[in-house]
Amino acid sequence: MSLYQVQKLLYHVNRDPERRQGYRRNASAFVKTYDLTETESAAILNLDVRALYAMGVHSLLLRPFTLLHNLSNEDYAKALKED
Amino acid sequence: MPIVFACAASHAPGMTAWTEAAPKQQADNFLGAYRKLGERLAACKPDAIVTLTVEHWANFFLNSMPTFCIGRAEHYDGPVEEWLRIPKGRVPGDPQLSAKLIDGCLNGGFDPTFSDELLFDHATYLPLHFLNPNLSVPVVPVIINTLTAPMPTAKRCFAFGEILGQALRGSEKRVALIATGGLSHWPGEAQHGKINIPFDKQFLAHLLAGEHHRLTAYTHDEINREAGSGGHEIRTWIALAGAVQSWKAELIAYEPIVPWATGCGLVAFNP
Repeated sequence: MSLYQVQKLLYHVNRDPERRQGYRRNASAFVKTYDLTETESAAILNLDVRALYAMGVHSLLLRPFTLLHNLSNEDYAKALKED
Repeated sequence: MPIVFACAASHAPGMTAWTEAAPKQQADNFLGAYRKLGERLAACKPDAIVTLTVEHWANFFLNSMPTFCIGRAEHYDGPVEEWLRIPKGRVPGDPQLSAKLIDGCLNGGFDPTFSDELLFDHATYLPLHFLNPNLSVPVVPVIINTLTAPMPTAKRCFAFGEILGQALRGSEKRVALIATGGLSHWPGEAQHGKINIPFDKQFLAHLLAGEHHRLTAYTHDEINREAGSGGHEIRTWIALAGAVQSWKAELIAYEPIVPWATGCGLVAFNP
């Protein structure tokens, strides 16, 4: 479990255009540059909003990250409310 | 010279980014009052504005998260959010006043971080858009960590405001103070869109009555539970109450605006 690393990755992608480009070019390779568990990597690569929120990712890191993936307000809210 | 103007204002990004999503009358009332407050600020002819503000991962991350940070830059660029529908700009700073505030803190029992390079996100830029629309008045940002726990206590924020107020009263400049944030909101959370109107009204009532002991009694857990993760920003309002002390708070507007997902408040403080 490395919530810090998950949040660091999201922070970098949200705020740093160069890293965002790297993530968009090859997300699988990009996530390997952070110290993540397989579950954490999968949650990021699958944009599993519910899983990321449940592991404690800050909402103001998570929502901007999902906006970069064009996730609508409605779909974001729905994802958080799913069991 | 003195503090010549003080107000506290919410900064919900929907105010500019999705203005039209709100009921027209609510939006017009609130944003009209916001602009009029800007005219009052201008009429006070301030030499500088000190914002008691927050940020949303624009500058700081968990590798180093200052509890209090005072900007000391020549200028500040923003807003960082491309989608805010506020044109990018450069806000002049006032490093001399920044230095005075930092010294005032260090001599008064506070040891803030200082920074010669900060970006402004909507927390600072949006209030300036309404209150200092030409960005003509230099700004000194004072950032309080209300983003991620642990955060400074309400009592400590009030005391921090007291020290800032003392330093400003000793300044030769005419200073306008703007606190920004709150009231209740849960941005990006499962409860996003919720507004706790009773909490907001109670908080405003304490502010208007000058009940400082009530303001400093708010606990982190209470704010978190009742006002949400975004509600922690009321710490900036509490710091402002500490800075202006005996000034009377005047309610300018309160609108719980659901499409903006925020209990939106505007309060002016008068000597």
